[in-house]
Formats: sequence, C-alpha cells, structure tokens
Amino acid sequence: MRFLRQTFVICQKDLRAELRSKEALNASLAFSVVILLLFSFAFDPTAEQTREISGGLLWLVFAFAGALILNRSFARELANDCLDALVASPVPGSALFLGKAIANFVLLLAIEFICLPVFGVFYNVRWTTHLGALTLILVLGTWGLTVIGTMFSALTVNLRLRELMLPVLCYPIMIPCLLPAIQLSTVVIAGQPLGPDMMEGLRLLVGFDVIFTVLALALVETVLIG
Amino acid sequence: MIALAGASALIIVWVLYTIFLHVPDEKDQGAIFRIIYFHVPSAMTAAACALAAFIASLLYLWRRDLRYDAVAVSVTEGALLFGAVVLVTGMIWARIIWGIWWTWDARLTSTLVSWLMYAGYLMLRRAVEEPTERARNSAVLSIFIFPGVYITWKSIEWWRTQHPGPVLSIRSGGGMAPGMESPIYINLLALLCLAAVLAMLRYNQEKRRRELDSLRRTVHAI
Amino acid sequence: MIPRREAIVDERNFAYMFYGFSAAWALVAAYIISLVLRERRIRSEMEALRRMIESAKE
Repeated sequence: MRFLRQTFVICQKDLRAELRSKEALNASLAFSVVILLLFSFAFDPTAEQTREISGGLLWLVFAFAGALILNRSFARELANDCLDALVASPVPGSALFLGKAIANFVLLLAIEFICLPVFGVFYNVRWTTHLGALTLILVLGTWGLTVIGTMFSALTVNLRLRELMLPVLCYPIMIPCLLPAIQLSTVVIAGQPLGPDMMEGLRLLVGFDVIFTVLALALVETVLIG
Repeated sequence: MIALAGASALIIVWVLYTIFLHVPDEKDQGAIFRIIYFHVPSAMTAAACALAAFIASLLYLWRRDLRYDAVAVSVTEGALLFGAVVLVTGMIWARIIWGIWWTWDARLTSTLVSWLMYAGYLMLRRAVEEPTERARNSAVLSIFIFPGVYITWKSIEWWRTQHPGPVLSIRSGGGMAPGMESPIYINLLALLCLAAVLAMLRYNQEKRRRELDSLRRTVHAI
Repeated sequence: MIPRREAIVDERNFAYMFYGFSAAWALVAAYIISLVLRERRIRSEMEALRRMIESAKE
C-alpha cells in the first residue's frame, strides 16, 4: 500500500511539473504534427497506400515524439541535485521508476490521442471504426515504449551525450513492441476487427510489457543507487 | 591460452582442407556453397558469446567483482565480431545465389537488430568514464538486451508471416548429405576456440587498462 | 573418416567464394589488428606514467 502511495505521489509530482510548464508536451506535439505533415508532403500517398502504411507512420511518429518526453523524464531531476534528493529519500527506486513511467505513459497517451485526429484529417483516414481495439493497442504499445524509455532515461541520465545515447539504445529494444503494434494498428484502422490471427500479436505485446516491466522494476534500483 | 590458439589454428587448417578437397559439390550453387562452413558456425559462436555476456553481467551484479565486467565486455566484442562475420558472409552469399544483397526476412532482420543492440552496449561503455558506474550500467543494459534478442526474433518472425514475403529459407527440409554436415560442427569447435582466445586477449587488455587507470590516478595525486 | 575422392572443385562461383572467405577473415584480422594497436597505446601510456611517477619520487 505504501509502495502504491509513493508511486502515486511521484507520478503526481511529475505530471504537475510537466503540465505547469508544458515544455516537453508542446515540443512533442509540435514535432509529431510536423512529421505527419512532412510525410504527407514527401510521399503524397493515395488512399490505398495510406491504409497500408497507417500503422507504421503513426507508431514512428509516436516513438520519435515519445523520445522527447522520455528523455526529460530523469533529466529534469538533474538541476539543483533533485535526483540525489529523490535517491536519498525513503522512496524505493522501483516506486520512483513506476511513478515516472506512469506519468510519461499518461503524457504520451494524451499526445497520441491528439495526433490521431490530425492524422485523420491530413490523410483522409477514418480511424474511429474500431476505437476500442485501437485504444487497447495504443495502451499496450505505449506502455512498452514508456517502460523502456524511462528505464533508459535512468541509465543515461548522467551522460553528456544523453540526447544521442537514449534513442540509439532505446529503438532497437523497442522494435519487438513496435512491430506488433504497427501491424495491429494497420489492421484496425483499415476497418477490420481484431481476429484470431491477430491474437499472437496481442500476446507478443502483453509479453513484452510484462517481461520488461518486471526487468525494469528489478534493475532500476541498481542503476539509480548502485 | 597458447594451447587453445594452437588447437584452433590446427582445427581451422584441417577444416579448410576438408572443405576444399573432401566435401562433394552442391548441385546448384557451385563453389560459393562452401561458405556455409563459416557462416553457420559463426552464428552459433556469436550466440554463445551473447549468452556468456549475459551470464557475466548477472555475475557482476551479484558479486560486484570488476573481473566479471571485463569478461562481459570481452565476450560482447566477440559476439559483435562473429555477428559481423555472419552478416557479411550472408550478404555475399545472398548476392550470388538470390541476386540481392539484403531483404527483410525474419532471420536477417532479427540478426541485424540484435547486432545493433550489442553495438549500443559498446557505445554506452565509451560514454561512461567511471569504472564502477560503467560496469554497473553496462551490466544492466546487457541483462536487458539478452531477452530483447529472443523477443525480437519472435516478434519479427510473427510479423513476417503476416506479410507474404519471398520464400528465403536456406534449410531445405534438413537434407544435407552426411559427408557435408560434419565440417560445420568441427568448424564450430574451431571458431569457439578462436572466440575464447580473442576474449582472453581482450580480457588481459582490460586488466591492463584498469592498471593504467590506477596509475593515472596516482600521477594525478602526486 | 571421409573417403578421399577425385575431387574436382566446382569452378562456378569460385571467385565469389574467395571473396566471401576473405571478407570473413578480413573482419577477424581487423579486430586482431585493433586489439594490437590498443595494446601498444596502453603500453606506451603506462611507460610514460611510470616514468612520471619515478621522476616525481625523486
């Protein structure tokens, strides 16, 4: 119970800090919209092509925009020795990690749900046909991205080249999360409901989320404290 | 260590002799087929090195002995080397037989992505200066990467079967003539010996580097 | 033991096989060369530092 309360406090703190200044949120949103625009210009896809690439396009945008948010997750604490204070506090490292992960998750999910209508408008795609299934895929995929990103943010927090190292380390490991998410999103946005042959993909997503959440919770204390 | 180096050299010479003179010709591919005798064992050696890196990282986090960290970095470099050999020999073979340098089929993609993950490990090590912190962070990264490799393979396999792609399987129903198969395993032994020798060389170098660090610190103190 | 035959090595794609083998061994050689170069650099730096320590002691 105490663990959950500590997690909730950390999550609240991060969300409040971010919502007050809205730095990362604005940057991330602007970046996503620009990428969506650019792709539309660069490729000018027909309706058929758009239906094929919709999942890939969306998840690439989410991954890139997410990197901006996830990078700041632990980097924000470097100023004024806040990270040292957090590590020295009685909050266990795993609660700290989980709180930040949940905060990042909420922010990233919000950005994704803002991007979807933009995507629908620019590419003339109806994405609302299977909104429940799409939401499920977004939630599972985003949690995977968030867990990996927050963990690696903790890992790279003390490096000079933090902004470079985080994407380089993160993206290869995020691939087994992105691939099923892309595939499933393409199917769902194209109008088909999630059928039995898509269950394997959902299982992959859930498996990825579970395995890496457990690994991260087990190892984050080592990374932060030693 | 000299014994291992000598053993691996002998085995490799023997394998080369066997490959060129004893193994009968494959029907369709001509001489290029013989590259399998380095391609497949390299893949198995790279996988063995990756497993060794995972175990060394776990041991480091458990014991906090920097020697395990030195072992981890040595075998990871070995895994990268043999992974590169697999990718390059595979590309050359593919160019000749299939006419293309590369394709996004399950095995190639997951091998490339795994190679990139381990390259990231080396990049992280270069970015952290302090030895204990470097050892700790790279051990954690290594522990993350190892299941990542397996999950990547599974997910890419699933993804590729969703898209009907070109049929690019090398294994044609397990039908290798008996005389052709044994050199693969023998060469595997040779390459494992080679990997062990290289890892030991690198481990010694890592020890010397730590000596160097402590010397540097002494000089700074004076 | 594999019986020896009158093995006439197939001439097709022989050159490419040669490229393949040499690529593999070139990679291994490159790694060994990088190890050796690093070794030399480490040794020379150790020598320099040892000399500095000796001269500082005096």
